[in-house]
Formats: sequence, C-alpha cells, structure tokens
Amino acid sequence: MTNTLVQIEQIEKRFPLSGGNEYLALKGIDLEIKKGEFISLIGHSGCGKSTLLNMVAGLDRPTEGVVLLEGQTIRSPGPDKMVVFQNYSLLPWLTVKENVALAVDEVHSGLSNSEREEIIRYHIHLVGLDQAVDKRPAQLSGGMKQRVAIARALAVRPKLLLLDEPFGALDALTRGNLQEQLLQICEENQITAVIVTHDVDEAVLLSDRIVMLTNGPGSKIGQIVDVDIPRPRKRLEVVNHPSYYALRSEMIYFLNQQKRVKKLNARKVAILSRHGLEKVNLEVGFVPLTACAPLAVAKEKGFFTKHGLDEVNLVRETSWRGIVDGMAGGYLDCAQMPSGLPLWMTLGGSGKSTPILSALTMTRNGNAITLGKSFYDRGIFSLTEFRHYLRENPQIHRMGVVHPSSMHNLLLRYWLASGDIDPDRDVVLKNIPPAQMIVDLKAGSIDGFCVGEPWNFRATMEGIGFVVATDLEIWDGHPGKVLGVRADWAKAYPNTHIALVKAILEACIYCADPQNALEIEKILSRKEYVGTPEQYIHLSNPNQGVCSIDKPLRQYAHHQFFGKHVNRPSRTEQLWHMTQMARWGEVPFPRNWVEVMEKICRVDVFTTAARELGLMEITYSRGPIQLFDGSTFTTDDPIGYLNSLKIKRDFTMSEITFAL
Amino acid sequence: MATTQYRKNNSGNPFAAFWQKNASNIMPPILGIMGFLLVWQLFSSTGITKLPGPINIWMDDRARTLILYPFYDRGGLDKGLALQTFASLLRVAQGYGLAAIVGIGMGILVGLQPLLNKALDPLFQFLRMIAPLAWVPIALIALQKNQPAAIFVIFITSVWPILINTAEGVRQIPQDYINVKKVLRLSNKKFFTKILFPSALPYIFTGLRIAIGLAWLAIIAAEIVMSGIVGIGFFIWDAYQQNYVNEIIVAVFYIGAVGLTLDRLMSFLQKWIAPE
Repeated sequence: MTNTLVQIEQIEKRFPLSGGNEYLALKGIDLEIKKGEFISLIGHSGCGKSTLLNMVAGLDRPTEGVVLLEGQTIRSPGPDKMVVFQNYSLLPWLTVKENVALAVDEVHSGLSNSEREEIIRYHIHLVGLDQAVDKRPAQLSGGMKQRVAIARALAVRPKLLLLDEPFGALDALTRGNLQEQLLQICEENQITAVIVTHDVDEAVLLSDRIVMLTNGPGSKIGQIVDVDIPRPRKRLEVVNHPSYYALRSEMIYFLNQQKRVKKLNARKVAILSRHGLEKVNLEVGFVPLTACAPLAVAKEKGFFTKHGLDEVNLVRETSWRGIVDGMAGGYLDCAQMPSGLPLWMTLGGSGKSTPILSALTMTRNGNAITLGKSFYDRGIFSLTEFRHYLRENPQIHRMGVVHPSSMHNLLLRYWLASGDIDPDRDVVLKNIPPAQMIVDLKAGSIDGFCVGEPWNFRATMEGIGFVVATDLEIWDGHPGKVLGVRADWAKAYPNTHIALVKAILEACIYCADPQNALEIEKILSRKEYVGTPEQYIHLSNPNQGVCSIDKPLRQYAHHQFFGKHVNRPSRTEQLWHMTQMARWGEVPFPRNWVEVMEKICRVDVFTTAARELGLMEITYSRGPIQLFDGSTFTTDDPIGYLNSLKIKRDFTMSEITFAL
Repeated sequence: MATTQYRKNNSGNPFAAFWQKNASNIMPPILGIMGFLLVWQLFSSTGITKLPGPINIWMDDRARTLILYPFYDRGGLDKGLALQTFASLLRVAQGYGLAAIVGIGMGILVGLQPLLNKALDPLFQFLRMIAPLAWVPIALIALQKNQPAAIFVIFITSVWPILINTAEGVRQIPQDYINVKKVLRLSNKKFFTKILFPSALPYIFTGLRIAIGLAWLAIIAAEIVMSGIVGIGFFIWDAYQQNYVNEIIVAVFYIGAVGLTLDRLMSFLQKWIAPE
C-alpha cells in the first residue's frame, strides 16, 4: 500500500436536463491524492469543481468511474471525509459549542463525556473562539462562523478535509487571516485537504498541488501545477518566493485561456473564400515585440488587403505559450513564432506533436542578453567575468528566457556553455513572458535575461540592467521570428498561404526602409501592438544620449526585416535548432532529421511568393553558420556534432512521423 | 445607549416616558376606533342603516347587562358572554389541539416522503376547499352528538393549514442542513430534534397561526347550526331568533376581540419560541 489516500478514476458526471437532454459536467477526471497533501481545485464558475468535490465527499455519485478512499469506493458521505461548506452550514438554533458538539457526540460516541468535552473545547480553542462558545451563529461575523465550521470539521478528525470555497463570502482581511490559520492547522496536523477556490493567491498559498479544470461542458483536468514553496509558509513571505509570481501567472494564463476558448467557441465563424483564395478571414497571432513590425505594418498599411486577405485579425498574445496553445487549439490560423517553435511543436515539445511549418523568416537579430545593474556595478562586463563571479558566488542565479524553443533560450545557453557555464547547473533558466522580464529583473527574482527588443533597451534606459552581449557577437544575422502555420492548414489553404507570405514579405520590405522607421515606431508603440512608449522602440540607431548607463557597452543589434539572405527559410538553420534543442533535452533528435528539415522549411511557398512579387534577387546562398566561438555548423553530421559538445544533456533520438 | 440616556432625562416620570415613546403607536388606533364609532352612530341616527348605533346599545338594558356582567350565570343557556365565549374556546382548544397533533405529525411524514406527498396532496387540497359549514351536517350524521361534531368541525377546518405548512417546512429544510446530517451520519432521532424540527418550526407556526383564526371562525358557524348548546355562536343565533339586535352586536364584538387576542397570542408564542 502506497501513501495514496484518494484515487479518482475516470470520473464522468452527467446531469439530466429538463427536456430529456443531459448535461455533461465532468469527463475523464483522473487524480490521486496522497496522504497529507493539500490540493486546490480551480476553474471558472460552472466548470464542475464543486461537483467533483461533492463526489469525493460522497454527497454526489459519479455517472461513470469511481472515487476510492483508502481503496474503498466512496458510496455515501460520512465523517471520515468532512466537508466545510461555503455558507458555513451551522445550525442557527445551536450555540457554537452545541454545533461542534453535535458532530463530536455523533462521531466519537465511543468516548466518554469528558473526553468529548475536551475534544470540543480543544477545537474551539484551535480556531480561537473561546470567547464565543455560547453564542449562536447569528451573533457571529462571517469569518467567525466559518471558523466554527472548520472547528466542527476538524473535531471529527476526518481522514480527508474538503472545503468548498470556504472563504468566498468573506472580506479580504478576514480571508487572509483565516487562510493563515487554516494553513497552520493543516501543516501542524498533517491534514489531507482538498479545497475548491477561485482565488489564485489562496491556491498558491495553501496547496501542494493546484488542479486546474477546463470549462464545461465535459470539464477535465487542464493542468496540474506543483507548488514548490517550502513549508511552513507565511502569507506575507510566500509572495517573495521566486516561484510565486510564476505560479500565479501560470494559473491566470490558464484561466484567461479558458475564457478565451469559450469566447472563440461561441463565435465560430465560417470560412470566407474570396478572390480565388480559400480563406480570407485569418486570425494571426503575435507577441508584443519590436519584431512584430511586419505583421503590424501589413495590417496598418493595407498589405493584407492588397493581396486579397480582407479580414485579417491580429491577435495579441502576451506569451509564446499563448501562441502555442492557439496554434495547437486551432483558433489561430498562423502566428509570429520564434524560429525554433515550428520544430519544437512538430517534435512534440509540449507533449503532443503538432506539425508546424514555415515559409518565411520575418526578422533576424534584434536580441540581446541583459544582466542586472548589480553586475555592472561589480564590473562584470563579459562572459569570462560572469563565469568567475558564478564560481565565487554559488547561490542560485536565475535568468529569464521566453520559451524553450526561442532563439533566446538557445542563444543564451549556447553563449553560457561556450563560456564553460552549464545553463542548467550553474544557473537556473526560467520561462517568463517577454513583457514581464523588466518587472522580474527590477524585483530581483531574476538576475538577467535574453529577450527580443524593446525589452533590453528599456532595461538599460531605466537603469535596472545592462546589455552584456548582443546578436552581433554571438551569431550575427540569426533567424529571429518566423511565420508559422499548421501543416494541415497549409495543405487546406495553399493559395491563402502564398498570399499571406506575399503580404508579409512586402511589409518586411516596408519595414526595412529607414525612411519609414519613425512611422513604424509610432504604430508599434500603440496599445494594440507593443504598447510601450516610442522612445523604447528603435528600428534604426537608438539615441545614445538617453542611455542612463554612462558607458554604452554594445552596439545595438538592429532587426533585419528584409534583405538578401534574410527572409528565405533555411534548412541549415533549422538543423542547428534541432541539434541545440536536442542538446538541452527540450525535444528528441529526429532520426529522420532530413525529412523533418525538408518538410518544415517550405521554400517552395516562399519562392512562389517572391517570384509573384517580382523579387527575383532574393536567392539563397547561405552556407555554413559561423558562430562567435569560432565554430562552424554544417548539415553534414548533426549527430557527430552533438556528440562532440562538452556541455550537454543526455539527448534521445526518435522517429517523427508526419501525416502530411 | 439611546434608551439609557432617555431614561436619565425623564427619570422623574416613567409613565410620561412610556407615553412619549409609544404615543405614536397608541394614538392612531384609538383615533381610528373613535372615528369608526362616530360614523356608525351617524349612520344609524340618520336612518341609513336599520342597525342601532353605539349609544342605542348602551341605552338598551339587556345589552348593558351583557356588557357589564360578563360572568353572570342563571343556569341553562342563560349565561354571561364571557362564559359563553369560554365554552366556545374550550371546544376550539380541543379541536385545535387535535388538529395541531395530527397536522404536524402528518405534515412531517408527508414532507419527508415525496411519494406520500404525491399520493395525498390532491386529497388535501380538495378537502381544504370545503367550507366549515358544509362539514356540520356530515359531522352531525357521523357522530350523532353536538359536542363531538363541533370539535370535529374545528379539527377538520384547522388541520389543513397546519399540515400543509409543516410539510412545506420540512421540504424547505436547507440543503446545507441535510448535508450536515449526511456528512455526520446523524441518527434519525438527532436529525429530528436538532435539525428537522427547529428548521421547520417557523413554518409550523405560520400554519398554527392561520389555523387558530380559521378554527375560531369555524366554531361560530358550527354553533349557529347546532342548537341548544352553551357557546357564543348559538348565543347569536338565539338572540337573532328573538330579535335582540343589540345583543347580537355585543356578541359580535366579543368574537372579534377573542379572534384578535388568539392571533396575537400565537404571534407572541411564535416570536418567543422560534425567533427569526
């Protein structure tokens, strides 16, 4: 017997509706709760979280599947799985003591009167209500009532404590105090508890694991996050833990995503075909970065419309995760992506494989590595100095990247590894949405980051960080953002795909013209795009005078939007991504790497688009990749290359099958 | 706080203090009653109605005797109005008591058993609609005697509101309390005494209060039909037969006053036992 207390197996719950129909509330719920564990169930209203709790309590029976408590099927409610209800459920005609006594006398009927009396007294004391033993619920405040309910629940010594939005009806101050009290009681008494809540902070504070449910009908477990904040926890200290905001934003992201999926499902639009194109109403995802300029320009300057795409809607996602979910979920038609993302999704980086291809590289460069101001003050200006510093200061140093597949992650790792710093052991890399980097760096929860502009520039200007390396010295002209589409989408809408590439390619030409820089900066600074003041967005030379750090260390690595080798997708580069992602264990290395490489790079689409635009001059002449450490990358022997690397994780190889 | 300060200011005269506090509650009803008596007197003086006015009643000897000597007893049916009323009340108490026991008991049963409720509810609703007077001949035929028949009529009139309200009260026990019972696996006895009964009590009292009014209405009707018993209902009938209009009016005041008192009594009892 393991220490599993509750096992929820393949639960399904249907409710009969008037009119003979059924509502499918929950579907395929699997969850195991260990002894002493504190679990939160979170989700939007109506997602069935209370229903799930009621089934664990035995107050409700699942339509399919079983709930086991210590291996026994839960068929009826009982004091071994005591529930604390949102509306307290105290009996108003009994005093505090009588309410607790009602439970204790019934459950501990084997004990003597004095022993029961002692249990009652102890638990009322535990929740700090000694003063109110003889009061009736009507004389108590909401918080006190809930404390009585908790005392009553704990007094029966349940194996499992179930709380259904226990603090939902309380004011913030009372809620905070009660959370702390509950936290302390549970930690001291090793109580196994499940709480239903819609309060993200409450979930993080109390739980060991947070179970997030998707929206109904047919709600299922969308995601489970582990809360790695050590116990005992204190409400005011928890917020300072480095994981706190990451966990919080993870949950908020999930909840927002659920809301959006609901909205998108509600307004499912028909596919509009026009001008000989299969689909002209497109949802195009982007992340607020200077690199989204081609998309913004294509929209604002009418390039989409010019190529027949009348109804393009730009969807602003705050993180690359949003793009991944949008593409996998099918509610984005195409999206701006970090150059490694098509590969990462194809190779199943998120757990399931969604083949994504790219026919256009929209930008190159525009990235930099920023370290916190404190390093500057210590005189750390280079990789070598950084390594020395890390060797001497072995405490944990955290650096932010935007996504495992992004060039930032790969470049930062490559840069660190080339300086003999193991990016997993000597530092800790965290995924943080681009726009949040500044906040985290300011708060000190990260020591540095690698991200696209304008965030490096902004950190420098605000005096909270400095740029320690830019693209120019790591890999000048590396691919930044690409246009990704799903493989099945590309197959279904080939002409739309070409029109899309044409529109964005023309926008790239527009962006590359220095004469348009000011206009584009103005467009990008708008709220629906980057939403940051114009002075932080630079397409041409930045105004050095505004830099608050007196010694500008680096030359700015400007974005390249258009040029001779800029826009055509490159197989060599894709292979480099493949090797790097395998090197760090993000995805397996495909045994059929040649096939993957060929299929992901849709050179044919690009060539057609370029030819139709009359851009015969952008040919492909890129040879091996030259990197700053003097190494050269070729497509000859990727596995040999991987094996030759000193700092790497164990990489696996697997066969990737394409259903194309 | 407010009251203590108030007392301090008027510590010399508690009556004045009481008056100042309650004048706004006492004055309007008194004025209303006075106005009513005035209008009534005007109506009878001007001859719009044939009824005697309040002054005529006071001037009438028989009526004045009834008002001034409520407890006289000359044997047989010739008793003071208080004694007549008392006899009627005694009947009400028996019928109503029976109705309360049966009504609450059946109500709980029906409230707990949805099946029983479905089976019996149409019947209850049907019987409820039958006027007390309609029961009188049936009761007389079935029970043969005046006294038990009168009690039966009270019973059958007042049992429905008690039963229906009790059943509703039991059905309306909040799900939270039911959940408490389920989770704690409370015994039936505990459930009944700690949850069901206290929870349904306000409903039961509502039923009892409606029922006491109905019972009082019914006794008058029943007694009017059943001749030769001591009771205020028959008293009225008797006075009517002998054309003592003034007596009838005095008796009617008694009936109203008793009905009002009974209702207030129940309301007070409800506030005392099941405060909400």
